Amino acid sequence: MFGLIKTWKALEAKGIMGINRRNADYVLKYNKRSLYPVVDDKILTKERAIKAGIHVPEMYGIISTEKEIENLDQIIGEHNDFVIKPAQGAGGDGILVIADRFEGRFKTVSGKIVSRDEIEQQLSSILSGLYSLGGGRDRALIEYRVTPDPIFKSISYEGVPDIRIIVLMGYPVMAMLRLPTRQSNGKANLHQGAIGVGVDLATGLTLRGTWLNNRITKHPDTANAVDGVQLPNWDGFMKLAAGCYELCGLGYIGVDMVLDVDKGPLILELNARPGLNIQIANDCGLTHRAHAVEARLEELKAKGIQETPEQRVRFSQELFGHVKPVEL
Amino acid sequence: MRSLTLHLKVLIAILVSLGVAITAYQIFVLGIPVTEAETDNVWNIDAKVEFQANPRNPVKVQMFVPPLGQDFVSLNESFISNNYGVSVNNVDGNRRVTWSARRAEGPQTLYYRMALTQRYTKDKPKEEGPIYRESLPLAGPEQIAAEALLAPIRQHSADVETFISETIKRVNNLGDDNVKLLLAGDTSITNRARIIDLLLSIAHVPLEKVHTIRLLENQAQSPELWLRSFNGENWLYFNPDNGQQGLPRDRLIWWLGDGELINVDGGKQAQVNFTLNTSELNAIRLAKQSDESADAGFLEYSLYGLPLQTQQTYQIMIMIPIGVLVILILRNLGGLQTLGTFTPVLIALAFRETQLGFGIVLFTLITALGLSLRSYLEHLKLQMLPRLSVVLTFVVVLIAVISLFSHKLGLERGLSVALFPMVILTMTIERLSITWEERGGGHAFKVAVGTLVAATLAHLLMSIPQLTYFIFTFPAVLLILVGFMLAMGRYRGYRLTELFRFKAFLKD
Repeated sequence: MFGLIKTWKALEAKGIMGINRRNADYVLKYNKRSLYPVVDDKILTKERAIKAGIHVPEMYGIISTEKEIENLDQIIGEHNDFVIKPAQGAGGDGILVIADRFEGRFKTVSGKIVSRDEIEQQLSSILSGLYSLGGGRDRALIEYRVTPDPIFKSISYEGVPDIRIIVLMGYPVMAMLRLPTRQSNGKANLHQGAIGVGVDLATGLTLRGTWLNNRITKHPDTANAVDGVQLPNWDGFMKLAAGCYELCGLGYIGVDMVLDVDKGPLILELNARPGLNIQIANDCGLTHRAHAVEARLEELKAKGIQETPEQRVRFSQELFGHVKPVEL
Repeated sequence: MRSLTLHLKVLIAILVSLGVAITAYQIFVLGIPVTEAETDNVWNIDAKVEFQANPRNPVKVQMFVPPLGQDFVSLNESFISNNYGVSVNNVDGNRRVTWSARRAEGPQTLYYRMALTQRYTKDKPKEEGPIYRESLPLAGPEQIAAEALLAPIRQHSADVETFISETIKRVNNLGDDNVKLLLAGDTSITNRARIIDLLLSIAHVPLEKVHTIRLLENQAQSPELWLRSFNGENWLYFNPDNGQQGLPRDRLIWWLGDGELINVDGGKQAQVNFTLNTSELNAIRLAKQSDESADAGFLEYSLYGLPLQTQQTYQIMIMIPIGVLVILILRNLGGLQTLGTFTPVLIALAFRETQLGFGIVLFTLITALGLSLRSYLEHLKLQMLPRLSVVLTFVVVLIAVISLFSHKLGLERGLSVALFPMVILTMTIERLSITWEERGGGHAFKVAVGTLVAATLAHLLMSIPQLTYFIFTFPAVLLILVGFMLAMGRYRGYRLTELFRFKAFLKD
């Protein structure tokens, strides 16, 4: 019992944010319910992003009725690789990644051959709402397949590693690189077994990681150290993330981005209830950083100033960046 | 944001104080018992009337019975008599029962029975009485003796109250010559009361005789005489024997005035025996009964005012917030993961019918079988709605089969499975299987166990009879619960499981 109180006190001193605090003080406070569809529906997010000039994977087409499944060939066109996603899917379910064509059939990233029928079946399932959050009807999205930058080759197992940045009122507060593992089946979701690696906001250098709520320093599949990796084009990621506030209007979001080998940083999706494991990955609590941003907002409000994404990124990098390397 | 917090605090304060105030009012002012087991004394008073009927004469027996609406509430009264007509009428503030028969012979026995309790009396009506009367005529030596007695009484008294008690004291001083003269050798209590009445009439103080019965078990007794006078506000009661003032709480007024308790026409040797005993009656049932007879109406607008059948439904319904509270605490404070938000409450309700142990076994069995069907259907790549329909039908068939088997095996309990909410089970199976695929079997198992734990806990709490009674009787308690739930809505502390989840931070 006393041990628990001690743990509680210690966590609070470190500013670790719990689910209740995240919901009460950030999600409910800064995220207006009416704006949720923008982040819940990937098609809407994409349309908004394109309008705002923010880079996203190119959209090949949308299928919203069973009849439109016939248009699949037309949508794919000459592309050899593409991704099929449910617009309102959660947790990476229902996503089909086609890497190549193989004698009239298709080949997924893991090398499995799928027929056209199976793809149509998948599309039909998506439309019926099998993967959608509310179970209602959904739309399928067919888009550009991201080829991850080779920089991640040594610390990733299959799949596409992505970068998650938590953005509070347009200020990036914490960043994490998510690396798929064998256990996560190439998916970059932490609760499915992917690794989260903290990233220094100022430099883009990786820190230590978290795997299933534990702290780690090496990738379990490749055995390479996950820390000390320099992410290319880091300021590009930061600006992209900071700009998402203007894009969706939600004050507390997790921005998921990928680094494409050709197109650079791209936004994959936004999350209105970003998870808390990012704290373990960064070995740092969110509460203190969030408070610092809120204090800054108060200060700016008093002066009547509105900062641009670039200014916000600079503020965050100065205040939260340059984390001392961890002693091992 | 800060104003919102203040708003919330005020709202919580209002709800909680309202809940506490209403409940306190019910308990302390209305006197509604806090537990169902609470009992109250009920007095059963039997007045047995015996007399010899004259042959070939019509018989008419008149007896006073207690007036209603005193400090006691009569729960029921009955007049037990063979071949006698019964009527009750009010005469000068008294109630009198009249038994009558055209023909009766030999020894006759009649009963009057009344059950009463001291609780749940409505507010007393404003008391009224005379404050002046004419003197009784008096002459000769009696007048002189009375004057002689009254002179010191006047001197020693300040108001009506002291005047009366002083008079009683003087008259009870049997050695006094004036008293001796007035009593004329008859020192019976009735005669003394007559002299007291006489003396007070000279001073124009009104006086009334009160005949009371003492609430005392298993003791033969006859009505005890008291005197009372109205002082403009209240009736003051005096014991004519010793001047003691104030009617003790265990006295029940039977009748007022000079009349005899019983009056028999066409009979002789009438006598009345009183037998008293107490019994304990369940307090809330008593409250309901006296509510009807005293028409106090305080239970009228409670849930007890509903038809009995509906009451039973509400007894279950009103416990649902308790179950929800359990889920709230387990999830937001404990961090327990459950399937859906209120699914555990619905399962807990199903446990009511199946009993806990059996319910858990059934739930596990059906869910496990349903899951295996669901995983088979997964291979067929069906759309959501047809797939759910198949699972639901399977669940219904499964429930029917379990009922049939257990019936054939003589396990009547197995029949209660029909009350398991099928749709809930279907959704549970569906959600569980999605969780299984998304997060793996371990997590699905954890969630399923969490759901069962929450349901069990909610069921155990919801089926405590004392708690059910309390909340059903004092529904305002729910306001206090709402206050707590509102407060929980802005709770930002850690969940218990988070203390373990974030343990990695403390390993330095």
